[in-house]
Amino acid sequence: MVLAAAIAALGAAQPDSKLTNATLTAVGGIKVGHHTLAERPTGCTVVLIEGGATAGVDVRGAAPATRDTDLLDPAKMVQQIFGISLSGGSLFGLSAADGVLRYLEEKRVGIAFGGRRIPIVPGASIFDLAVGDAGVRPTADCGYRAAQAASAAAVVEGSVGAGAGATLGKYGGIERAMKSGVGSAAVAMPDGLIVAALVVANPLGDVIDPATGHIVAGVRAAAGSGLADARALVRSGTPRVVRSGGNSTIGVVATNARLSKAEASYLAQLTDDGYARAIWPIHTVVDGDTVFAIATGTRSGTTDLVALGALAADVMATAVVRAATQATGLPNLPAVRDLRR
Amino acid sequence: MNRLLLAIAGMVAVSAALAAQAAPPASPRATSGLTAVDGIKVGHHTLTERPTGCTVILVDGDAVGGVSQRGGAPGTRETDLLDPLNMVDKVNAVLLAGGSAFGLEAATGTVKWLEEHNIGWPAGPSRVPIVPGAILFDLGVGANPKIRPTAECGYKAAAAATAGPVEEGSVGAGAGATVGKFGGPGRSMKAGLGTASIKHASGLVVAAIVAVNAVGDIIDPSTGKVVAGVRNPDNTFADARAILRAGTAMQRPRAGENTTIGLVATNAKLTKAQATRMALMADDGYARAISPSHTNGDGDTIFSLATGRWDGNADITLIGGLAAEAMADAIVRAATQATGVAGIPAARDLKK
Repeated sequence: MVLAAAIAALGAAQPDSKLTNATLTAVGGIKVGHHTLAERPTGCTVVLIEGGATAGVDVRGAAPATRDTDLLDPAKMVQQIFGISLSGGSLFGLSAADGVLRYLEEKRVGIAFGGRRIPIVPGASIFDLAVGDAGVRPTADCGYRAAQAASAAAVVEGSVGAGAGATLGKYGGIERAMKSGVGSAAVAMPDGLIVAALVVANPLGDVIDPATGHIVAGVRAAAGSGLADARALVRSGTPRVVRSGGNSTIGVVATNARLSKAEASYLAQLTDDGYARAIWPIHTVVDGDTVFAIATGTRSGTTDLVALGALAADVMATAVVRAATQATGLPNLPAVRDLRR
Repeated sequence: MNRLLLAIAGMVAVSAALAAQAAPPASPRATSGLTAVDGIKVGHHTLTERPTGCTVILVDGDAVGGVSQRGGAPGTRETDLLDPLNMVDKVNAVLLAGGSAFGLEAATGTVKWLEEHNIGWPAGPSRVPIVPGAILFDLGVGANPKIRPTAECGYKAAAAATAGPVEEGSVGAGAGATVGKFGGPGRSMKAGLGTASIKHASGLVVAAIVAVNAVGDIIDPSTGKVVAGVRNPDNTFADARAILRAGTAMQRPRAGENTTIGLVATNAKLTKAQATRMALMADDGYARAISPSHTNGDGDTIFSLATGRWDGNADITLIGGLAAEAMADAIVRAATQATGVAGIPAARDLKK
């Protein structure tokens, strides 16, 4: 009875209201910075954890572009990471992490090794080369600038940083796609647990609001102004347009809980359920979907992994929806807010 | 001239499609559910002593197989050989069973039945039946947890397998299945076994079968609404998503109470790696229709089978997308088709 009343009073989406910053930086010790290139819509987004964090990863898409993911295996030695580099530019964009390493080395952040520090910065990239001049890609300079720009302020969302060239709804080809970007969300629980997510949503699929089953953004109808519904296209056997423009959704889930490396890996896996709920279809052969999980461990005490994992999937789904709703359109690539006009 | 030919071809195609829709099934082959995939048979055996049992998916000949194992508390056999790096690339049957780890014994009976019928991987003078399997934890349902599916159950389910419509609800591996366990004892609901299929005009068929025994609630992904799950005292849904979001004290899932096990099948021709991708994408159906899913109290596992009897070309992204959709449909059916047991109502009981 008490339980039901408590739920009725809170509602499903209310707990966020006590956070003035409901983005990834709601987790203490985490900074986020973007750098967006001026030459074409692409860039990089850097997550810094200068105090170090336990981390894990889940790569479920079939076309990933990643670096330093092997060392996140719980069987491998390294126990702490200090940053995550998310970038546009496909494989080329992975070099953004070089700049993050340089920035952190200059600040003497990383694993002590002799008189030096080795910053551990895993990374992932999205394919955005079909949006503008494919020769323009994020470089080490982009990663360095994004690290310089990083702050603990609320994360700027929309078509910035690694999400500057992000698109979605490409089952019918890039011509019928929509603009996407960076989204972020966070929840704070009564017991002090904070779970937050940041995502660069660049999927082949549509973005769905799991609370209603409705499409937020996706493949536009071949004629007129509506949406085609990728679920209906797949169900009816409509073939995919093969040259769809490239994909991948890459993101980070963060918590102040204290987790082992194996638990962080498991958290990354559970967070992937948020992708499944908010993106349709997901984890395809042409998506390099990746989720990093980081646990700062500043909250002492035990954490129930079931609740943590469920909350992580939930905030990730919210972040994906925000990546669509906060985006700004480009010529021939309208965003949600453009269609509403 | 060309336009005329196209028009005629179009009319023929349309009338053929209409005929295909209108024609009654010529054989006992099911038109929906897992057995809509040509070459797949399904058999259940349900124990009478306690609500538990097993379900066997038999392949007529063999099929390329894959698996996705994402839950934190699995009970499986022969899943390692399904790794695309490993040699065996054919599967003869898949076992789904209740009875926790003990229930894996049922596969022994399925292997025996297949050997008697000379079905299996050719290995010198013998044939070795390849039967991957997974179990769910249903020992808390009914009075006697010592009653578990044995080899005899797996043998009988294999012998009972047919290509006809699959019986759904509280049967076979789903006989003891329950959902919505965040509120602890007395607030869960009965679930069972469900199946669904999607057929395209091209001839491609993708289908799913699942025994749903999740910690979480069952959600209809097309509306976001709870279909079955944790109950309030007045038999309304408490909504596991809301319980988790509110941070309210809850019953933590215990090993021995959960796990959703299923299988997706297609008549497409797939490599072992593609079959693995199909299973992985089908797992997105779990994520959409079960909230939360893949918890460390769930041993969620999905097998995939590709019979290769359809020689058309289909993109694995399309097949995987359909597999996720068919699996979500099957999960919802597992809840809606279930029959309640004492103290554990099913969705249909609450509607009364």
